[in-house]
Amino acid sequence: MNVQGIVDKTTRGTPRVLVFACRWCALVGADAVGRGRADLPASFRVIPVECAAMVEPDSVLRALASGADGVAVMGCHLGGCRFNDANHVALKRMEALGDLLDAVGIGRRRLLLSFGTAHEGRQFAEVLGAFFRELEPLPSLAAWRKTLLNQPSFR
Amino acid sequence: MTSTLKTIRGKAENLLAGGLADGVLCLGRDRFNVVQPRLFHKAEEVGSLEIEPKWNLAKLAMQTLRSAEKSFRLTVVCRGCDERALLELVKRNQIDASRMTTLSYTCGREQAEACLCPRPYPENPAAGEKIEGVDPFGDPRFASLLAGDDQERMARWTGLLSRCLKCYGCRNACPICVCTPCKLEDDLWVERSAVPAEMIPYHLIRAFHLSDTCVACGACQDACPVGIPLLALQLVMRRSLREKYGYEAGLEADRKSPLLMDFEHASPAGFALPAWTVSSEAPHER
Amino acid sequence: MPGVIAILCRCCGQIEPAVDLQALRERIDREAGVVSVEVRDSLCLPEDGAAIVKAVESSGADRILLAACSQYGKAGAVVSALCARGIDRSRVRLVDIREGCAWIHRGDRTAATAKACDLLCMGLGFLRYGGCSTDAVVAVRPECLVAGAGSAGLAAAVSIARAGFQVHLVERAAEGGGMLKLISRVYPTDVEAAEKLRPYLEEVERNPRIAFHPKTRVVSATGFAGDFKVRLASATGDVNVRVGAVILATGAGVWLPRGLYRYGELKEVLTLMELERRQREGKTAAKRSVFIQCAGARCPERPYCATMCCPSSIKNAVLLRKADPDAEVTILHRDIMTPGHILERYYRSALEAGVRFVRFAVEEPPMISGEGHVEHVEVFDAISGVKREIEADQVVLSTPLVANADNAKLAELFHVPLDDYGFFREDYPLHPLETRQGGVFICGSARWPVSSGEAATQGEGAAMKALAILCREKLSARSMSRLPEGKLGHARIEDGACSGCGNCVAVCPYEACTLQRVGGAFVSRANKMRCRACGSCTAVCPNGTVQMPEHNARAVGAMIRRAFAEGDAG
Repeated sequence: MNVQGIVDKTTRGTPRVLVFACRWCALVGADAVGRGRADLPASFRVIPVECAAMVEPDSVLRALASGADGVAVMGCHLGGCRFNDANHVALKRMEALGDLLDAVGIGRRRLLLSFGTAHEGRQFAEVLGAFFRELEPLPSLAAWRKTLLNQPSFR
Repeated sequence: MTSTLKTIRGKAENLLAGGLADGVLCLGRDRFNVVQPRLFHKAEEVGSLEIEPKWNLAKLAMQTLRSAEKSFRLTVVCRGCDERALLELVKRNQIDASRMTTLSYTCGREQAEACLCPRPYPENPAAGEKIEGVDPFGDPRFASLLAGDDQERMARWTGLLSRCLKCYGCRNACPICVCTPCKLEDDLWVERSAVPAEMIPYHLIRAFHLSDTCVACGACQDACPVGIPLLALQLVMRRSLREKYGYEAGLEADRKSPLLMDFEHASPAGFALPAWTVSSEAPHER
Repeated sequence: MPGVIAILCRCCGQIEPAVDLQALRERIDREAGVVSVEVRDSLCLPEDGAAIVKAVESSGADRILLAACSQYGKAGAVVSALCARGIDRSRVRLVDIREGCAWIHRGDRTAATAKACDLLCMGLGFLRYGGCSTDAVVAVRPECLVAGAGSAGLAAAVSIARAGFQVHLVERAAEGGGMLKLISRVYPTDVEAAEKLRPYLEEVERNPRIAFHPKTRVVSATGFAGDFKVRLASATGDVNVRVGAVILATGAGVWLPRGLYRYGELKEVLTLMELERRQREGKTAAKRSVFIQCAGARCPERPYCATMCCPSSIKNAVLLRKADPDAEVTILHRDIMTPGHILERYYRSALEAGVRFVRFAVEEPPMISGEGHVEHVEVFDAISGVKREIEADQVVLSTPLVANADNAKLAELFHVPLDDYGFFREDYPLHPLETRQGGVFICGSARWPVSSGEAATQGEGAAMKALAILCREKLSARSMSRLPEGKLGHARIEDGACSGCGNCVAVCPYEACTLQRVGGAFVSRANKMRCRACGSCTAVCPNGTVQMPEHNARAVGAMIRRAFAEGDAG
């Protein structure tokens, strides 16, 4: 199989980001962005979760395999988790996932871990904006996947 | 016959003859001269016991104990990696440690280099001399799998994992993979009809699930019919856990994975939980 | 099979500039499972509530998808109102297309509309698989366990008994009183400690609702708020009690400063506790006393201030001066901690009584000089910059209280975390006197070193918290939440799929999952009362056995798959 063409540097529009936002902090931050009428690229979608600890690493992987170029897991400030430091465990787990993503070249840059936005709209916008810029030069995972799926099954 | 083999045969014979074990799980040479796993019941059979080639028996040990009567006591003849796998299975409540003992032996230099194993010995071998292991990251073939920038690695791993036939051999051979049902067969996570198995949903899910329990026995890699170097991904994760938390799966019977605990406490309750298997609904006697 | 009614809100024109609602409506109408699509001007005005319910009923749909503003705005109230009319929360999904879409993507109508489509399809996917946890209801045992009969425990027990509930007051010593039994007088009133204790101890004797268990320890505990099963062991045998709430008031421990300031070597060097005992016994013969504050406190091993040692030293210093007006009493300190006007006045009264205060710096602690007995104390006066030699007949070390040695065992029994110093960890900051475990409360020096007065206050506070549980006949699992809207749900473990690996047991912050033996294997069980629906377990279960029905993996997976479906069409 010729893999050269599969991973190419060109992108198509703004990177697609799936955001898992904990509904106690990060989601309120997203809401604050809306109320502040900021202008953001429309290529991200938000899935509200009860706690960042609830986000399965497998969901992150599934998201990367379903058209997302990047995944953001956003929770409450460390030490401020409603569920007694569950976000600490989530952070450790996601960092380990980052190691795995690095090993296969997908890159931990595609996984954003943010425990810094409480109800702060501006921070949410900044964090997301920085993430978009980080993802821009990277190859499109959706295109990569499509090419792979179009390959004949066996060499 | 090597001295290690002689020692193991002798000890296995003693165990069976003395009634200290109901069965010894090891490799055996059958009448067609084929070497394959065998459960020895009688001391007289031990003459055909073999310890080569490398063959991980941890999962077989688990399945043997499951199908045997409650009183069955099993001895497993194993190398270091196998013993570590058995320890992880005990930790995860798949094997009742009171029904099993190990008769372990060290690996030789050739095997250690073939496996790129940093620990080619069990903690307390019954036979053989411990030798120094090999650092896989120092090996050029291994290092080349992880070399280059993100793009190069992605292209390389896409190519490697595209050989996959979705035979589930890796999952079946892995001693730690015991879940039924298994996520990799659930079309919520893995497209059932897609061959090769998709890299991210199949291989990365499996690799991550094993990140803190893989003992680097290499059974997955040995089982893969198309020669994908699956162990490489797990070794990266093992190294990361070792560096960050000083944790290595397969070595500590009473320490849980750091990925399950928060930073501040060893356990959510602020103290070391007694044993995996103690249910806190049962009265805690102290 | 009934389907979904999708109600799209125009928010009185707020949505249309950015999102093509008509296109959205047509797109959603084509979706499988959607039986009706409506576009409304608003959802939140008073007349809308009834109209929505009517629309739902006439469509025959059994699930509702609302596209409107965010849950933190009016739409949240709309959903709550729908639920108040009997519609189950798991059958309503709110999708934010205003704050989350129309208001932030004003520049690109195509992209914004595509995003709104995706968001609605995600909502549909979620609705298809979202489930509902079955609730559990337990009868509340109208009894309380108070562990420890010191100032805090006695105050708690008496409060609860007076409110009409049975209390089991457990004490490891032969009598109640705790640390107050060891001291002579209580600051700042200088009342005799025994006097302060007397009314409480009499109440314990007299009140039939207080069952006092002296020389008894807690040896086993299981259960949850509303129904704890506790076993108490004493020399005369074991007793099993079932209580609705537990208050841990086991106090602090005393620390002996061996090796510090030649304690243990010279018999004239004693601790504050030992001085208190001498005061009680009337043996205060020393003419010249020197107190050394922060002995073993505010140092690397114990970096905290124990808050009580300064007032206690002042109290004893003044008593010494009053007993003998010729006595020379000096207090060597790093800082004097007497917050508040009452204690500040207490401090000043000590100055007026002739107690001398000398400040030293932490880098130059005082030195005890003498061969075989204390002769004098050398200290570098940090304020005047002069080295002083103070002659002394006794040196009193003001040591901090430390965590009770029993805390670790109790923490294990009740699954309550300890802090870095071994005291019970409070669920700080907004849940005073509560711990991570519902129904288990802490007060007094078990929580942090405090004076007996403060301990009694906290004891009453903990009693109030316990009473909030005890006075209810029943508790439901859903009500076990500190959140106004209750828990999202609770963990559910699928029959036959659990391999017993124990990941969920390890990760749960509330020890809600436990392993039980079923046949020859282990299987996890989730305690609905303890579960707080954080979802930690679901993220670590290797094969998705444990799920929260309201937010299960199939529902989330459906959302993930549909997140970029519209965008993909390009």
